[in-house]
Amino acid sequence: MRSAGCRGLLYCLRVMRTSLVFFFAALAFGGCAPAHQASLEPASARARYFGDTTPPAENVLTFNLGAEPEMFDPSVAVGQPDGRVCRILFEGLTREDPRTLEPLPGQAYRWDITPDGLTYTFHLRPHLTWSDGRPITADDFRWSWLRVLRPETASRYAGLIFPIVNAEAFNKGTIHDERLVGIEATDDSTLTVRLAAPTAYFLYLTQFYTCLPVPRWAIEKHGNRWTRPENIVCNGPFRLAWWRQNDHFEFVRNPRYWDAAHVKLDRIMAYPVEDLNTSTNLYKAGVFDWNPSGYIPSQFIPYLRDYADFRHGNYQGIYFYSINVTRKPLDNPWVRRALNYAVDREAIANDLLKRSRDPWGNFTPSGYPGYTHPPAITFDPAKARECLARAGYPGGKGFPKISILFNTSEDHRRIAEAIQAMWKRELSIDVELSNQEWGSYLQATSALQYDVARRSWIGDYLDPNTFLACYVTGDGNNRTGWSNPRYDALIRSAAVELDAEKRLAILRDAEALLLEEGPVIPIYHYSTNELVKPYVRGIYQTPLDIHPLTYVWIDRQWQHRASEPPVATAIPARARREHGR
Amino acid sequence: MTSLLIRRVLLMVPTLWVIATLTFFMIHAAPGGPFQSEREIPEAAKQQLNAKYGLDRPLGEQYVSFLIHAVRFDFGPSYKFPARQVREIILEALPVSAELAGWALLLALVFGVPFGVLAAVKQNQRLDYAAMGAALAGVSVPNFVLGPALVLGLSLTLFLFPPALWQGPMSRVLPVATLATAYVAYIARLTRAGMLEVLRQDYIRTARAKGLSERAVVFKHALKLGILPVVSYLGPAAARVVMGSIVIETIFSVPGLGRYLVNAAFNRDYTLVMGEVLFYATMLMVLNLIIDVAYTRLDPRVEAA
Repeated sequence: MRSAGCRGLLYCLRVMRTSLVFFFAALAFGGCAPAHQASLEPASARARYFGDTTPPAENVLTFNLGAEPEMFDPSVAVGQPDGRVCRILFEGLTREDPRTLEPLPGQAYRWDITPDGLTYTFHLRPHLTWSDGRPITADDFRWSWLRVLRPETASRYAGLIFPIVNAEAFNKGTIHDERLVGIEATDDSTLTVRLAAPTAYFLYLTQFYTCLPVPRWAIEKHGNRWTRPENIVCNGPFRLAWWRQNDHFEFVRNPRYWDAAHVKLDRIMAYPVEDLNTSTNLYKAGVFDWNPSGYIPSQFIPYLRDYADFRHGNYQGIYFYSINVTRKPLDNPWVRRALNYAVDREAIANDLLKRSRDPWGNFTPSGYPGYTHPPAITFDPAKARECLARAGYPGGKGFPKISILFNTSEDHRRIAEAIQAMWKRELSIDVELSNQEWGSYLQATSALQYDVARRSWIGDYLDPNTFLACYVTGDGNNRTGWSNPRYDALIRSAAVELDAEKRLAILRDAEALLLEEGPVIPIYHYSTNELVKPYVRGIYQTPLDIHPLTYVWIDRQWQHRASEPPVATAIPARARREHGR
Repeated sequence: MTSLLIRRVLLMVPTLWVIATLTFFMIHAAPGGPFQSEREIPEAAKQQLNAKYGLDRPLGEQYVSFLIHAVRFDFGPSYKFPARQVREIILEALPVSAELAGWALLLALVFGVPFGVLAAVKQNQRLDYAAMGAALAGVSVPNFVLGPALVLGLSLTLFLFPPALWQGPMSRVLPVATLATAYVAYIARLTRAGMLEVLRQDYIRTARAKGLSERAVVFKHALKLGILPVVSYLGPAAARVVMGSIVIETIFSVPGLGRYLVNAAFNRDYTLVMGEVLFYATMLMVLNLIIDVAYTRLDPRVEAA
């Protein structure tokens, strides 16, 4: 949920420092002896690790939270750090499988879905309690979700639960009676949710942080100070013991969590370290056990590939260029196609970015179960020239100068320069580059004050809809001015299609249309690049970069174990059996 | 003396008002606002947020309300961290920055002044060249180069100190050393220059002629005046060290004031920007006032005018 743009704190400073650290790091890596190699089993014997591999003496996980969370009140939380903290402290009706992120029973041990896909009935586990000992009831969930929808809460993610009957009207203030909203606590342990349209991904929403339950009495007593360590009440595997802004969070195990018996970590220490070099240094020195994705300087990645504790995987995000179709000559689809075919994605991902990203010619990322992509846009200079000629600019003659807008960052500039050169070489058109700091850049893209702009999009849940829905007419995330009635109709019909296969086929058609019309130029697929110490068990590479920490543990015998222990240890068998109906 | 103090304190009020007004309108004029992100916030939610924080009122009205509250050092909640008051954020981060700054200034004086005196006394001798060469290097090497170099050498290779974070006495060493280096060097150069000027003066010749020992001449008579440039430099230096160690706080992940300042401007966190700017301005003026008072005590030639 993090905006993928580089926030660029002192970015020029970082560039200068990175090159220096990079130079030293290259020296240091060369001399870095593989740690702890004496008398090992084959599995880990030949492996080289980046830095210290001594497990901590206690059952404590220390990691980089990335940035200071803006707010970790789940109902209003927005960014990735906020979400990480919320997931440690709270648990929803469902919760993520740590490997696949598929919904597992959480506070609800089972649920029923009516055949029309419109009514969900959740049954809470018996004897659930908050961290202060109060019982958790279905009404806590009802109250929490209504709180998300109340206009005075001003939750930025309220839109996520608009599939619920009357949720949108209640949020916009057109109805004021909360009983009209389709959330009902039929008794203390049963929550019934009625949806306005079948929503294939609804169980993913019930584990998203916006839908986590919050303690009504603590909020009514302390107002927005209820998340202070001395006031907070939670229902997740850990509770908050200490916090100082920009310093660190200390979480301790919550003995009142329903599955506390299987929680092995006693404490979690989370530090908000924004600087990528600092974060990687702390990992190398053995202070951090886990350096999550996004906190390794990109220049380090080619070197880190040789280390066994480095993980590279797909991340559900796309880096792309957005085209303002309200401006000439970009209103002409042939011009947009020409620009699209003239981008050599392989060269950018492999040469410029040193394979730290994967070239990508589709608008939806990989990894959606059951979804097949339409044909990707490829690099085809001949076709690009042909398209440009059809648009009325043969050989680029008479093509007005356009500009590429990006937010100030060295990486964005390098990519923009590469694309500028490609368009010049293949299409003989002139492009100028313009960069703006973050706030101005956001304003310019929202207000359509650009020709071509760098953008990126990170999915919210595991479904292509989280990408494609942005391009319906007038959507706030569209930001291209592009509008196509057929596309809007496809997205609408997918939303009400009950058959999963048919629904994905409709979305595939929509994506094909989007690529054909070209308001976007996909460039690369985001990746996760993270460092996890070999003794940390239970943190898996996942496409949303979400990592439930409930069952993570410190393995002091890691050198004598091949890799991960059997699944049953990581997820209690009970939970697997009870999984849905 | 008292009239000087009163006049200077009274002068602070219009100065702060001008700073507050300029900053207020400049930050509000910057494109965008506090509630924007790469992911569009629905129009309804944006209106709800603006209403919640009073940003839907006319700018003039917001300005008046801001001034009324600012007088009591109350800036309201931060927009970026809405669960926290700006005052709370500043008061929590201040001790950390003050500690970092305190150690760095102490180090700068303890090393800078003796080096400067030594260099002045041994002018144009090998010791002078060595000390001034080192000082030149210290001033020239930026802290974003020195910091990572120290981390690589002392932390990641020799494992003497933690590479970052603010926990325990050992974690103070690298950030303080990095921050202090430039100030050690600058103070050494200032002391040397001040001392050289003083040592040429008549009253020093008189002191020598009286048969005083060289040690007494240097430390009892010359240093008292020779150190004046350093004293006047300490005021702005102290303020800069407290607020301006942004680079150090980022490299070493120190939870101080500096880290907020830049990010607050980037995030258009209006209240936090106003709080930090006014706090910084006040601190700068107070420190300068203290230095001026100290000056009149140290140098009888300066009149308490």
